[in-house]
Amino acid sequence: MNETLLSVRDLSVVFAGEDGPRTLIDDVSFDLGKGEILGLVGESGSGKSLTCRSLVRLMPSPKLAITSGSVMLDGRDLTKAPEADIRAVRGRDIGMIFQNPTSHLDPLMHIGDQIAEGIRVHRGVGGKEARAAALDILAQVGFPHPARQYNGYPHEFSGGMRQRAMIGVALSCDPRILIADEPTTALDVTIQAQILRLLMELRESRGLSVIMITHDLGIVAQTCDRIAVLRQGRLLEIGDKRDVLARPQHPYTQNLIASHPSMPERQMAAADTAYPTTLKTRPLVEIDDLHVRFPVTGRRLFSDGPREFSAVKGVSLQVMPGETVGIVGESGSGKSTLARALLGLTPISDGHVTFDGADIVTERTKALRKLRRETAMVFQDPYNALNPRLTIGAMLAEVLAVQESVAKERIPQRIGELLDLVGLEREFADRKPLSMSGGQCQRAGIARALAVNPKLIVADECVAALDVTIQAQIVDLFRDLKQRLNLTLLFIAHDLAIVRNLCERVVVMYHGQIVEEGRTEDVFNAPREAYTQALIGAIPDIDPDRPLVSPRGGDALTEETSGLVTDEIS
Amino acid sequence: MHRYKFVLYRPLQFLPVLFGISVITFVLVRLIPGDPARVLLGTKSTPAAIAAIRAQYGLDQPIWLQYFYFLQNLGHGEMGKSILYKIDVLRLITTRIEPTLTLVLTSVLLSLIIAVPLASLAARSNGGPADHAVRFISTFGIGFPPFWLALMLIIFFSVRFDLFPVSGYGETVVDKLYHLILPSLTIALSLSTVLMRSLRTAMIAELKDDLATAARARGMPESIVFWRHVMPNSLVPTVNLLAVNIGWLIGGTVVVESVFALPGMGQLLVRAIFSRDYMVVQGVAMVFACATVLVNFLADIVTVAIDPRVKQ
Repeated sequence: MNETLLSVRDLSVVFAGEDGPRTLIDDVSFDLGKGEILGLVGESGSGKSLTCRSLVRLMPSPKLAITSGSVMLDGRDLTKAPEADIRAVRGRDIGMIFQNPTSHLDPLMHIGDQIAEGIRVHRGVGGKEARAAALDILAQVGFPHPARQYNGYPHEFSGGMRQRAMIGVALSCDPRILIADEPTTALDVTIQAQILRLLMELRESRGLSVIMITHDLGIVAQTCDRIAVLRQGRLLEIGDKRDVLARPQHPYTQNLIASHPSMPERQMAAADTAYPTTLKTRPLVEIDDLHVRFPVTGRRLFSDGPREFSAVKGVSLQVMPGETVGIVGESGSGKSTLARALLGLTPISDGHVTFDGADIVTERTKALRKLRRETAMVFQDPYNALNPRLTIGAMLAEVLAVQESVAKERIPQRIGELLDLVGLEREFADRKPLSMSGGQCQRAGIARALAVNPKLIVADECVAALDVTIQAQIVDLFRDLKQRLNLTLLFIAHDLAIVRNLCERVVVMYHGQIVEEGRTEDVFNAPREAYTQALIGAIPDIDPDRPLVSPRGGDALTEETSGLVTDEIS
Repeated sequence: MHRYKFVLYRPLQFLPVLFGISVITFVLVRLIPGDPARVLLGTKSTPAAIAAIRAQYGLDQPIWLQYFYFLQNLGHGEMGKSILYKIDVLRLITTRIEPTLTLVLTSVLLSLIIAVPLASLAARSNGGPADHAVRFISTFGIGFPPFWLALMLIIFFSVRFDLFPVSGYGETVVDKLYHLILPSLTIALSLSTVLMRSLRTAMIAELKDDLATAARARGMPESIVFWRHVMPNSLVPTVNLLAVNIGWLIGGTVVVESVFALPGMGQLLVRAIFSRDYMVVQGVAMVFACATVLVNFLADIVTVAIDPRVKQ
């Protein structure tokens, strides 16, 4: 490690709760070197974000206080500096970027002005000079037309460009330290690769030190120099990236690494399950040249723009009974629309969808009745998908009563069985979603899906909101259920590694079309299409020696990049 | 300027709305019990005289035909003759519109002058003494009915201290505004509490929001965080609330104009109702309804001006 820039010693943060104080950060110590990228890893609630907020005393609640320890920067203890001094440190010495650029940028302000604001306040320069500096920064963070894009509003840009703007805001005053709090979690995998590369370039060009908060060990392996693992507010271990990844000391770190979807043992699991050779049987789902178009609202009468937006353009797909098919693609690729159209939740513009022999278009009533009784959906956000006012038992009872597949007096017993199936204790029947963790809620969501005795389950990004170790558990649960109940599973995800673990077949979607499909192992090992290659190349591997963009995907990705970077204001 | 195109075509959508308003007010007014001819002639009227008056004003025609004549007149820029004032209703209204319009404008302005600083103060000391004080006052403001407040203000400012006139309207601009101070204050004390509550809630939410955190994280002082980021973002929901309240307020001027004897449309309406002056009642009701539509249209324009994400 180079010369130490920031030194954190025995930092403790206590929450003054109503039932006594709780220690959320417990004696955390680490150093940050000049030009170093330090990865701060841990699950949600481990205190990794809070630790970084504490460095600049940006406490999310007035009930949180630093009770002991020091944060030394340039021989000053930031925990004891006066408020005005710490304000000068924020932005000027230590910049911050966040997971969700959409909510952290001011929606009513030009992005350029948001960058210029910091320059004006910290450097005390005039409007013109600040504007020129902001234009320069926009160019540095990858805006192709700074002069034009200066006056754009955040909502006019894609997620990746918004994160670039956020980075621009953080860099506006040329800080020496950048705290990046899950900067790519909300982004697609190819965009994530671009943002990570941008951060690494900035580190090179500016000698920036970065604290990278992430739950994804792949990102750490690809970008960081050292890793610090946090759990329940404690620093479990800290060390050189390669040491920690190769020889994790703490059992928790070992588990975290083993849970990563790109680990070889986890990848084996999907390959083990036999590819069904039941091609002679009738497919459960048949999609033939499906088109889904939405009317474009808000530009009528005086507009000559397109009146329709095609979300799905001519997709044909067959799913055999008992098969597990993964649908991957970036946001906006039409994968969710495809699933919704298949379940009869979105009107079909053209083409045919047949479920178990019933055509959704020509035999709508019959097909919908079948769909409602034999299919179920698992949603992305486990909390929002469950009614907060119902206990899990009441929620399951409701489904069972409506479906009338189980006699009334057998319902309590069936609820017990369902909870057993998804690995929840039977006492969860009396609990409400808010008293449960994300993983437990998602299990309850799966139990609800199973309550209809479905032939087909459509899981739409159902693990995206969960921590890695929980993700791994849910994926295991699906694998187990699939075998025990002979389920057909349509698994929609932007996370390719998870699809690779779980699915026998994978369908890659891009701009509403299927660009590639085939056996998972074939697609991942030898992708034919450039887009698939780029997508796979962008997955951060947990092995530091497998760089972020593999040579075979390199060209495709730059092509992709140029397409996305020119994402302009219309 | 794509976002402002609705300013051109939205008025087209008003046509069916205005048609509906005219039908409803026309029919409803005729559902009021009583006979304008009888009111006009007094208690000693003969059936023959009543019939003559009814024929003169077309009141003996079937209601759909009366409506047809009404539309026909409207095409000529007339709303029919007032039974009481003997002049065309539209002309009558134009002479009464100014005091009401001024009253609404000064009331809204005054409520904003009261609400914005107090809401800011309360939000920034969220849970502190200033916050409690503001919330205490606003509870009173909501609790007191305007007619009572009006009387209290008159007793206090006009009778005891003789600062402002008890009633009436002035001749010059200054004199008019002077006469409007107490009526506006009456309305503003109620309206500002509603705005203050909405604004305070929005500001407290925005102060804790991610964009405020991000602004603090780049070292912005609390004043910039508040005025440049929190304030504009908090205004968006309040603009729409204000529009709804102005619509309500236009009708609400009836009470205040009566108490302060302001020669506005509210007073005109009250008198017209008592004398069964159908033409005036429906004319005033239509103007009130159109004003409400217009205010909401303006609010939509303001919302688009503040928030670039909004598309109408």
